[in-house]
Amino acid sequence: MSTERHGEGFVAIEQASYRYGAEAPIVDRVDWAIPRGAFHCLIGRSGSGKTTLLKLAAGLLAPDEGCVRIDGAALEGPGTRIGFVFQQPTLLDWLSVIDNVLLPLSLKRSLRAEDREKARELLDLVSLGDYAHRHPAQLSGGQQSRVAVARALIAEPDLLLLDEPFAALDALTREELQDDLLALCAMQATTVLFVTHDITEAVYLADRVAIMAAGRLHHELAVDLPRPRNRAMRYGQAFNTLCLELRQAMDGAP
Amino acid sequence: MTVRIASALLLLALLGGWEAWCRLGNVPALIVPAPSSVFATLWSEIVSGRLLPHLAITATEMALGLALGCVVGLGTGILLDEASFLRRLLHPYIVASQVVPKLALGPLFIIWFGFGMAPTVVITALICFFPLMENTLTGLAQVDPARRELFRMLGASPLQTLLRLKLPSALPVILAGLRVAVVLSLVGAVVGEFIGGRAGLGASIIAAQSVMDSSLMFALFIVITLLGMVFYQAALLTERLLLRHHLKG
Repeated sequence: MSTERHGEGFVAIEQASYRYGAEAPIVDRVDWAIPRGAFHCLIGRSGSGKTTLLKLAAGLLAPDEGCVRIDGAALEGPGTRIGFVFQQPTLLDWLSVIDNVLLPLSLKRSLRAEDREKARELLDLVSLGDYAHRHPAQLSGGQQSRVAVARALIAEPDLLLLDEPFAALDALTREELQDDLLALCAMQATTVLFVTHDITEAVYLADRVAIMAAGRLHHELAVDLPRPRNRAMRYGQAFNTLCLELRQAMDGAP
Repeated sequence: MTVRIASALLLLALLGGWEAWCRLGNVPALIVPAPSSVFATLWSEIVSGRLLPHLAITATEMALGLALGCVVGLGTGILLDEASFLRRLLHPYIVASQVVPKLALGPLFIIWFGFGMAPTVVITALICFFPLMENTLTGLAQVDPARRELFRMLGASPLQTLLRLKLPSALPVILAGLRVAVVLSLVGAVVGEFIGGRAGLGASIIAAQSVMDSSLMFALFIVITLLGMVFYQAALLTERLLLRHHLKG
Protein backbone atom coordinates (compact mmCIF):
# COMPACT_ATOMS: atom_id res chain seq x y z
CA MET A 1 0.00 0.00 0.00
CA SER A 2 1.27 3.43 -0.88
CA THR A 3 2.38 5.81 1.84
CA GLU A 4 2.97 8.83 -0.35
CA ARG A 5 2.46 12.34 0.89
CA HIS A 6 -0.91 14.02 0.76
CA GLY A 7 0.13 17.37 -0.59
CA GLU A 8 1.56 19.99 1.79
CA GLY A 9 0.22 19.51 5.31
CA PHE A 10 0.35 21.78 8.34
CA VAL A 11 2.82 19.24 9.67
CA ALA A 12 5.11 17.82 6.99
CA ILE A 13 7.58 15.05 7.78
CA GLU A 14 9.83 14.74 4.75
CA GLN A 15 12.13 11.76 4.24
CA ALA A 16 12.97 11.82 7.95
CA SER A 17 15.46 9.25 9.23
CA TYR A 18 16.91 8.75 12.69
CA ARG A 19 19.34 6.22 14.06
CA TYR A 20 21.02 5.64 17.41
CA GLY A 21 24.76 5.26 16.77
CA ALA A 22 25.70 2.78 14.06
CA GLU A 23 22.56 0.66 14.40
CA ALA A 24 19.90 0.24 11.70
CA PRO A 25 17.72 3.37 11.49
CA ILE A 26 14.87 3.38 14.01
CA VAL A 27 13.00 5.80 11.74
CA ASP A 28 13.69 5.17 8.06
CA ARG A 29 12.86 7.76 5.38
CA VAL A 30 9.36 8.53 6.62
CA ASP A 31 7.09 10.86 4.67
CA TRP A 32 3.92 12.03 6.33
CA ALA A 33 1.70 15.09 6.21
CA ILE A 34 -1.05 16.19 8.58
CA PRO A 35 -3.48 18.87 7.39
CA ARG A 36 -4.39 21.63 9.84
CA GLY A 37 -6.98 20.48 12.37
CA ALA A 38 -6.70 16.78 11.44
CA PHE A 39 -6.36 13.95 13.95
CA HIS A 40 -3.86 11.32 12.82
CA CYS A 41 -2.87 8.13 14.60
CA LEU A 42 0.31 6.12 14.29
CA ILE A 43 -0.07 2.51 15.26
CA GLY A 44 2.59 -0.14 15.62
CA ARG A 45 4.14 -2.71 17.87
CA SER A 46 6.67 -1.85 20.57
CA GLY A 47 10.03 -0.97 19.05
CA SER A 48 8.56 -0.03 15.67
CA GLY A 49 9.95 3.51 15.95
CA LYS A 50 6.68 5.35 16.60
CA THR A 51 7.84 7.14 19.75
CA THR A 52 11.04 8.22 17.97
CA LEU A 53 9.02 9.57 15.05
CA LEU A 54 6.84 11.48 17.51
CA LYS A 55 9.94 12.98 19.17
CA LEU A 56 11.19 14.02 15.73
CA ALA A 57 7.85 15.77 15.15
CA ALA A 58 8.20 17.43 18.59
CA GLY A 59 11.72 18.69 17.90
CA LEU A 60 13.01 16.71 20.90
CA LEU A 61 15.19 14.81 18.41
CA ALA A 62 16.64 16.18 15.19
CA PRO A 63 16.42 13.90 12.13
CA ASP A 64 19.74 12.59 10.72
CA GLU A 65 18.29 13.04 7.25
CA GLY A 66 15.21 14.77 5.93
CA CYS A 67 13.28 17.36 7.88
CA VAL A 68 10.11 18.20 9.76
CA ARG A 69 8.16 21.33 8.84
CA ILE A 70 5.45 22.96 10.88
CA ASP A 71 3.35 25.41 8.88
CA GLY A 72 6.07 25.53 6.21
CA ALA A 73 8.97 26.38 8.55
CA ALA A 74 11.64 23.79 9.36
CA LEU A 75 11.40 22.68 12.99
CA GLU A 76 14.51 23.69 14.96
CA GLY A 77 13.54 22.37 18.39
CA PRO A 78 10.69 22.16 20.87
CA GLY A 79 8.48 25.23 21.10
CA THR A 80 5.30 26.51 22.66
CA ARG A 81 3.34 25.81 19.48
CA ILE A 82 3.64 22.09 20.18
CA GLY A 83 2.03 20.30 23.12
CA PHE A 84 3.27 16.87 24.16
CA VAL A 85 1.64 14.23 26.32
CA PHE A 86 4.00 11.49 27.50
CA GLN A 87 3.33 7.81 28.20
CA GLN A 88 3.34 8.61 31.92
CA PRO A 89 1.46 11.69 33.19
CA THR A 90 4.83 13.20 34.36
CA LEU A 91 3.10 15.56 36.77
CA LEU A 92 5.16 17.36 39.40
CA ASP A 93 4.23 15.85 42.77
CA TRP A 94 5.02 19.00 44.73
CA LEU A 95 2.63 21.21 42.75
CA SER A 96 -1.14 21.29 43.04
CA VAL A 97 -3.22 20.08 40.11
CA ILE A 98 -3.93 23.62 38.89
CA ASP A 99 -0.26 24.63 39.17
CA ASN A 100 0.66 21.55 37.14
CA VAL A 101 -1.78 22.63 34.44
CA LEU A 102 -0.35 26.16 34.52
CA LEU A 103 3.27 24.98 34.30
CA PRO A 104 3.74 25.66 30.55
CA LEU A 105 2.58 29.27 31.08
CA SER A 106 4.37 29.88 34.39
CA LEU A 107 7.67 28.89 32.77
CA LYS A 108 7.16 31.59 30.15
CA ARG A 109 5.85 34.55 32.10
CA SER A 110 4.19 35.58 35.34
CA LEU A 111 0.65 34.27 35.61
CA ARG A 112 -2.42 36.44 35.22
CA ALA A 113 -5.89 36.02 36.66
CA GLU A 114 -7.23 34.94 33.27
CA ASP A 115 -4.64 32.13 33.10
CA ARG A 116 -6.01 30.66 36.31
CA GLU A 117 -9.53 31.03 34.96
CA LYS A 118 -8.53 29.19 31.80
CA ALA A 119 -6.87 26.40 33.77
CA ARG A 120 -10.05 26.05 35.82
CA GLU A 121 -12.14 25.84 32.65
CA LEU A 122 -9.87 23.13 31.26
CA LEU A 123 -10.07 21.20 34.53
CA ASP A 124 -13.86 21.53 34.44
CA LEU A 125 -13.85 20.13 30.91
CA VAL A 126 -11.94 17.04 32.06
CA SER A 127 -14.25 16.71 35.11
CA LEU A 128 -11.56 17.69 37.59
CA GLY A 129 -12.88 21.12 38.58
CA ASP A 130 -13.17 20.05 42.23
CA TYR A 131 -9.62 18.70 42.32
CA ALA A 132 -7.74 21.90 41.41
CA HIS A 133 -6.01 22.20 44.78
CA ARG A 134 -5.28 18.54 45.34
CA HIS A 135 -1.85 17.08 44.63
CA PRO A 136 -1.10 14.45 41.95
CA ALA A 137 -0.54 11.64 44.45
CA GLN A 138 -4.14 12.11 45.61
CA LEU A 139 -5.49 11.40 42.11
CA SER A 140 -6.14 8.11 40.32
CA GLY A 141 -4.15 7.17 37.22
CA GLY A 142 -6.99 8.27 34.93
CA GLN A 143 -7.30 11.63 36.69
CA GLN A 144 -3.54 12.18 36.40
CA SER A 145 -3.73 11.51 32.66
CA ARG A 146 -6.55 14.06 32.40
CA VAL A 147 -4.36 16.65 34.13
CA ALA A 148 -1.53 15.85 31.70
CA VAL A 149 -3.85 16.45 28.73
CA ALA A 150 -5.12 19.71 30.25
CA ARG A 151 -1.51 20.82 30.81
CA ALA A 152 -0.64 20.10 27.17
CA LEU A 153 -3.58 22.22 25.99
CA ILE A 154 -3.29 25.26 28.32
CA ALA A 155 -0.92 27.11 25.98
CA GLU A 156 -3.31 26.43 23.06
CA PRO A 157 -0.74 24.62 20.92
CA ASP A 158 -1.29 24.34 17.17
CA LEU A 159 -0.04 20.78 17.25
CA LEU A 160 -0.64 18.20 19.98
CA LEU A 161 1.54 15.08 20.10
CA LEU A 162 0.56 12.17 22.32
CA ASP A 163 2.67 9.10 23.04
CA GLU A 164 0.40 6.26 24.19
CA PRO A 165 -0.96 8.49 26.95
CA PHE A 166 -3.77 6.15 28.00
CA ALA A 167 -1.94 2.82 27.68
CA ALA A 168 -1.72 2.20 31.42
CA LEU A 169 -5.42 2.84 32.11
CA ASP A 170 -8.31 0.41 32.38
CA ALA A 171 -10.57 0.06 29.32
CA LEU A 172 -13.51 2.12 30.63
CA THR A 173 -11.37 5.01 31.84
CA ARG A 174 -9.52 4.95 28.53
CA GLU A 175 -12.78 5.33 26.61
CA GLU A 176 -13.81 8.29 28.76
CA LEU A 177 -10.47 9.96 28.22
CA GLN A 178 -10.67 9.38 24.48
CA ASP A 179 -14.02 11.23 24.43
CA ASP A 180 -12.57 14.05 26.54
CA LEU A 181 -9.58 14.36 24.23
CA LEU A 182 -11.74 14.49 21.10
CA ALA A 183 -13.95 17.18 22.64
CA LEU A 184 -10.98 19.30 23.74
CA CYS A 185 -9.20 19.05 20.40
CA ALA A 186 -12.38 19.83 18.45
CA MET A 187 -12.87 22.97 20.56
CA GLN A 188 -9.48 24.45 19.67
CA ALA A 189 -9.30 22.80 16.20
CA THR A 190 -5.97 21.34 17.31
CA THR A 191 -3.90 19.29 14.87
CA VAL A 192 -3.09 15.97 16.53
CA LEU A 193 -0.64 13.13 16.05
CA PHE A 194 -1.46 10.30 18.45
CA VAL A 195 0.73 7.23 18.89
CA THR A 196 -0.84 4.03 20.16
CA HIS A 197 -0.64 0.26 19.89
CA ASP A 198 -4.38 -0.14 20.36
CA ILE A 199 -6.28 -0.64 17.07
CA THR A 200 -9.72 0.34 18.40
CA GLU A 201 -8.29 3.48 20.01
CA ALA A 202 -6.70 4.51 16.70
CA VAL A 203 -9.90 3.95 14.69
CA TYR A 204 -12.09 5.71 17.26
CA LEU A 205 -9.91 8.81 17.48
CA ALA A 206 -8.40 9.36 14.07
CA ASP A 207 -9.24 10.77 10.67
CA ARG A 208 -6.34 8.79 9.29
CA VAL A 209 -4.27 5.94 10.68
CA ALA A 210 -0.80 4.82 9.59
CA ILE A 211 0.89 1.59 10.52
CA MET A 212 4.53 1.81 11.48
CA ALA A 213 6.83 -1.22 11.43
CA ALA A 214 10.61 -1.44 11.44
CA GLY A 215 10.94 2.33 11.17
CA ARG A 216 8.78 2.73 8.08
CA LEU A 217 5.15 3.55 7.37
CA HIS A 218 3.54 0.59 5.70
CA HIS A 219 -0.13 1.18 5.37
CA GLU A 220 -2.51 4.01 5.80
CA LEU A 221 -6.22 4.08 6.28
CA ALA A 222 -8.69 6.93 6.10
CA VAL A 223 -11.31 6.65 8.84
CA ASP A 224 -14.54 8.05 7.45
CA LEU A 225 -16.69 7.60 10.55
CA PRO A 226 -18.79 10.72 11.19
CA ARG A 227 -17.85 13.24 13.90
CA PRO A 228 -18.50 13.74 16.71
CA ARG A 229 -17.71 10.14 17.52
CA ASN A 230 -19.80 8.38 20.15
CA ARG A 231 -19.58 5.17 22.07
CA ALA A 232 -22.28 3.41 20.05
CA MET A 233 -19.98 3.58 17.02
CA ARG A 234 -17.54 1.23 18.70
CA TYR A 235 -20.02 -1.57 18.22
CA GLY A 236 -21.06 -0.69 14.64
CA GLN A 237 -20.13 -2.69 11.58
CA ALA A 238 -18.22 0.14 9.90
CA PHE A 239 -15.99 0.50 12.97
CA ASN A 240 -15.25 -3.19 13.18
CA THR A 241 -14.53 -3.46 9.45
CA LEU A 242 -11.91 -0.71 9.82
CA CYS A 243 -10.40 -2.44 12.86
CA LEU A 244 -10.22 -5.71 10.98
CA GLU A 245 -8.56 -4.06 8.01
CA LEU A 246 -5.95 -2.47 10.28
CA ARG A 247 -5.35 -5.74 12.09
CA GLN A 248 -4.77 -7.61 8.85
CA ALA A 249 -2.48 -4.88 7.60
CA MET A 250 -0.50 -5.06 10.87
CA ASP A 251 -0.16 -8.81 10.53
CA GLY A 252 1.09 -8.31 6.98
CA ALA A 253 3.66 -5.68 8.00
CA PRO A 254 7.25 -6.88 8.52
CA MET B 1 0.98 4.20 72.13
CA THR B 2 1.60 0.93 73.99
CA VAL B 3 4.99 0.76 72.27
CA ARG B 4 5.85 4.21 73.63
CA ILE B 5 4.84 3.21 77.15
CA ALA B 6 6.89 0.03 76.83
CA SER B 7 9.82 2.09 75.55
CA ALA B 8 9.59 4.46 78.55
CA LEU B 9 9.30 1.52 80.95
CA LEU B 10 12.41 -0.03 79.38
CA LEU B 11 14.35 3.18 80.15
CA LEU B 12 13.11 3.19 83.74
CA ALA B 13 14.02 -0.49 84.15
CA LEU B 14 17.52 0.13 82.78
CA LEU B 15 18.04 3.14 85.07
CA GLY B 16 16.72 1.13 88.04
CA GLY B 17 19.06 -1.78 87.23
CA TRP B 18 22.00 0.61 86.88
CA GLU B 19 21.19 2.30 90.23
CA ALA B 20 20.83 -1.09 91.97
CA TRP B 21 24.07 -2.36 90.45
CA CYS B 22 25.99 0.72 91.66
CA ARG B 23 24.55 0.62 95.19
CA LEU B 24 24.55 -3.14 95.80
CA GLY B 25 27.79 -3.85 93.93
CA ASN B 26 29.70 -1.01 95.61
CA VAL B 27 30.89 0.22 92.24
CA PRO B 28 33.28 3.19 92.78
CA ALA B 29 31.60 6.46 91.73
CA LEU B 30 34.75 7.38 89.78
CA ILE B 31 34.28 4.38 87.47
CA VAL B 32 30.48 4.38 87.08
CA PRO B 33 28.44 6.90 89.06
CA ALA B 34 24.87 5.96 90.01
CA PRO B 35 22.07 7.61 87.97
CA SER B 36 20.83 9.42 91.10
CA SER B 37 24.23 11.10 91.50
CA VAL B 38 24.37 11.91 87.75
CA PHE B 39 20.95 13.55 87.84
CA ALA B 40 21.84 15.44 91.03
CA THR B 41 24.97 16.80 89.32
CA LEU B 42 22.97 17.66 86.21
CA TRP B 43 20.39 19.52 88.28
CA SER B 44 23.00 21.50 90.17
CA GLU B 45 24.72 22.43 86.89
CA ILE B 46 21.40 23.66 85.52
CA VAL B 47 20.29 25.69 88.56
CA SER B 48 23.75 27.17 89.13
CA GLY B 49 23.62 28.52 85.56
CA ARG B 50 26.98 26.91 84.69
CA LEU B 51 25.55 24.60 82.03
CA LEU B 52 23.63 27.00 79.85
CA PRO B 53 26.54 29.05 78.41
CA HIS B 54 28.37 25.83 77.43
CA LEU B 55 25.23 24.39 75.89
CA ALA B 56 24.69 27.62 73.96
CA ILE B 57 28.26 27.57 72.62
CA THR B 58 28.09 23.95 71.43
CA ALA B 59 24.65 24.47 69.90
CA THR B 60 25.91 27.58 68.11
CA GLU B 61 28.99 25.79 66.77
CA MET B 62 26.81 22.93 65.64
CA ALA B 63 24.29 25.21 63.93
CA LEU B 64 26.94 27.37 62.25
CA GLY B 65 29.00 24.36 61.12
CA LEU B 66 25.90 22.58 59.87
CA ALA B 67 24.66 25.64 57.99
CA LEU B 68 28.06 26.35 56.43
CA GLY B 69 28.68 22.70 55.51
CA CYS B 70 25.19 22.29 54.07
CA VAL B 71 25.28 25.47 51.99
CA VAL B 72 28.72 24.67 50.56
CA GLY B 73 27.83 20.97 50.10
CA LEU B 74 24.57 21.79 48.34
CA GLY B 75 26.27 24.41 46.16
CA THR B 76 29.13 22.08 45.24
CA GLY B 77 26.69 19.26 44.47
CA ILE B 78 24.69 21.53 42.16
CA LEU B 79 27.82 22.89 40.48
CA LEU B 80 29.28 19.42 39.88
CA ASP B 81 25.95 18.20 38.48
CA GLU B 82 25.55 21.15 36.13
CA ALA B 83 29.15 21.13 34.89
CA SER B 84 30.04 17.53 34.04
CA PHE B 85 33.57 18.61 33.12
CA LEU B 86 34.10 19.93 36.66
CA ARG B 87 32.60 16.76 38.09
CA ARG B 88 35.07 14.56 36.25
CA LEU B 89 37.90 16.94 37.17
CA LEU B 90 37.16 17.48 40.85
CA HIS B 91 35.09 14.62 42.19
CA PRO B 92 38.00 12.18 42.76
CA TYR B 93 39.85 14.86 44.74
CA ILE B 94 36.78 15.72 46.80
CA VAL B 95 36.29 12.05 47.69
CA ALA B 96 40.00 11.75 48.53
CA SER B 97 39.77 14.83 50.75
CA GLN B 98 36.92 13.19 52.66
CA VAL B 99 38.97 10.11 53.44
CA VAL B 100 41.35 12.30 55.47
CA PRO B 101 40.08 12.18 59.07
CA LYS B 102 38.99 15.77 59.52
CA LEU B 103 39.42 15.69 63.27
CA ALA B 104 43.12 15.15 62.65
CA LEU B 105 43.14 18.58 61.05
CA GLY B 106 42.03 20.13 64.35
CA PRO B 107 45.52 21.08 65.60
CA LEU B 108 46.28 22.70 62.24
CA PHE B 109 43.01 24.67 62.34
CA ILE B 110 43.95 25.98 65.80
CA ILE B 111 47.10 27.44 64.23
CA TRP B 112 45.07 28.90 61.36
CA PHE B 113 41.97 30.12 63.21
CA GLY B 114 43.12 30.37 66.84
CA PHE B 115 41.34 28.90 69.86
CA GLY B 116 37.62 29.46 70.26
CA MET B 117 34.66 28.67 68.06
CA ALA B 118 36.20 29.15 64.61
CA PRO B 119 38.24 25.91 64.31
CA THR B 120 35.35 23.84 65.68
CA VAL B 121 32.88 25.44 63.26
CA VAL B 122 35.24 24.72 60.36
CA ILE B 123 35.69 21.07 61.39
CA THR B 124 31.92 20.67 61.78
CA ALA B 125 31.33 22.28 58.39
CA LEU B 126 33.88 19.98 56.73
CA ILE B 127 32.17 16.93 58.22
CA CYS B 128 28.67 18.10 57.16
CA PHE B 129 29.77 19.08 53.66
CA PHE B 130 30.21 15.56 52.31
CA PRO B 131 26.79 13.94 52.95
CA LEU B 132 25.10 17.04 51.53
CA MET B 133 27.28 17.11 48.41
CA GLU B 134 26.98 13.37 47.75
CA ASN B 135 23.23 13.30 48.30
CA THR B 136 22.72 16.41 46.17
CA LEU B 137 24.69 14.78 43.34
CA THR B 138 22.75 11.51 43.71
CA GLY B 139 19.39 13.26 43.95
CA LEU B 140 20.01 15.45 40.93
CA ALA B 141 21.20 12.46 38.87
CA GLN B 142 17.99 10.56 39.67
CA VAL B 143 15.59 13.13 38.20
CA ASP B 144 13.09 11.30 35.99
CA PRO B 145 14.23 11.54 32.32
CA ALA B 146 10.60 11.91 31.16
CA ARG B 147 10.19 14.99 33.36
CA ARG B 148 13.47 16.43 32.04
CA GLU B 149 12.08 15.90 28.54
CA LEU B 150 8.87 17.64 29.58
CA PHE B 151 10.87 20.70 30.68
CA ARG B 152 12.82 20.64 27.40
CA MET B 153 9.53 20.41 25.54
CA LEU B 154 8.22 23.43 27.47
CA GLY B 155 11.34 25.42 26.57
CA ALA B 156 12.51 25.81 30.19
CA SER B 157 15.91 27.48 30.73
CA PRO B 158 18.65 25.55 32.60
CA LEU B 159 18.04 27.73 35.68
CA GLN B 160 14.28 27.08 35.54
CA THR B 161 14.93 23.35 35.13
CA LEU B 162 17.24 23.42 38.16
CA LEU B 163 14.96 25.45 40.43
CA ARG B 164 11.59 24.09 39.37
CA LEU B 165 12.34 20.48 38.48
CA LYS B 166 15.71 19.15 39.60
CA LEU B 167 15.97 20.58 43.12
CA PRO B 168 12.36 19.80 44.09
CA SER B 169 12.75 16.26 42.66
CA ALA B 170 16.04 15.75 44.50
CA LEU B 171 14.76 17.22 47.75
CA PRO B 172 13.93 13.89 49.49
CA VAL B 173 17.47 12.60 48.85
CA ILE B 174 19.06 15.95 49.81
CA LEU B 175 17.11 16.03 53.08
CA ALA B 176 18.18 12.46 53.88
CA GLY B 177 21.73 13.83 53.58
CA LEU B 178 20.80 16.66 55.93
CA ARG B 179 19.67 14.14 58.55
CA VAL B 180 23.05 12.39 58.37
CA ALA B 181 24.80 15.78 58.54
CA VAL B 182 22.85 16.77 61.66
CA VAL B 183 24.08 13.70 63.53
CA LEU B 184 27.65 14.23 62.30
CA SER B 185 27.57 17.94 63.21
CA LEU B 186 27.23 17.07 66.90
CA VAL B 187 30.26 14.77 66.66
CA GLY B 188 32.15 17.58 64.88
CA ALA B 189 31.25 20.20 67.49
CA VAL B 190 31.95 18.08 70.59
CA VAL B 191 35.15 16.46 69.35
CA GLY B 192 36.30 19.79 67.87
CA GLU B 193 36.03 21.22 71.40
CA PHE B 194 38.05 18.29 72.76
CA ILE B 195 40.90 19.47 70.58
CA GLY B 196 40.81 23.22 70.81
CA GLY B 197 37.77 24.40 72.72
CA ARG B 198 37.89 26.56 75.86
CA ALA B 199 34.12 26.46 76.34
CA GLY B 200 31.27 24.25 75.25
CA LEU B 201 30.04 20.78 76.23
CA GLY B 202 33.08 19.01 74.75
CA ALA B 203 35.49 21.32 76.56
CA SER B 204 33.47 20.78 79.76
CA ILE B 205 33.92 17.01 79.44
CA ILE B 206 37.70 17.50 79.20
CA ALA B 207 37.55 19.80 82.24
CA ALA B 208 35.48 17.23 84.20
CA GLN B 209 37.94 14.53 83.25
CA SER B 210 40.86 16.57 84.58
CA VAL B 211 39.17 16.70 88.01
CA MET B 212 37.99 13.06 87.77
CA ASP B 213 34.34 14.10 88.04
CA SER B 214 32.63 11.10 86.37
CA SER B 215 29.17 12.24 87.47
CA LEU B 216 29.62 15.51 85.60
CA MET B 217 30.88 13.66 82.51
CA PHE B 218 27.78 11.45 82.51
CA ALA B 219 25.58 14.50 83.07
CA LEU B 220 27.21 16.15 80.03
CA PHE B 221 26.62 12.98 77.95
CA ILE B 222 22.93 13.30 78.73
CA VAL B 223 22.89 16.96 77.69
CA ILE B 224 24.79 16.16 74.46
CA THR B 225 22.37 13.33 73.66
CA LEU B 226 19.37 15.59 74.24
CA LEU B 227 20.95 18.32 72.11
CA GLY B 228 21.49 15.83 69.27
CA MET B 229 17.91 14.59 69.55
CA VAL B 230 16.51 18.13 69.44
CA PHE B 231 18.51 18.90 66.25
CA TYR B 232 17.51 15.55 64.71
CA GLN B 233 13.84 16.08 65.48
CA ALA B 234 14.09 19.59 64.00
CA ALA B 235 15.56 18.04 60.83
CA LEU B 236 12.74 15.47 60.72
CA LEU B 237 10.17 18.22 61.16
CA THR B 238 11.73 20.28 58.36
CA GLU B 239 11.71 17.21 56.17
CA ARG B 240 8.08 16.46 56.87
CA LEU B 241 7.16 20.06 56.15
CA LEU B 242 9.10 20.34 52.89
CA LEU B 243 8.11 16.90 51.57
CA ARG B 244 4.45 17.01 52.51
CA HIS B 245 3.42 16.78 48.86
CA HIS B 246 6.16 14.44 47.61
CA LEU B 247 4.86 10.97 46.79
CA LYS B 248 1.94 11.25 49.13
CA GLY B 249 -0.23 8.15 49.32
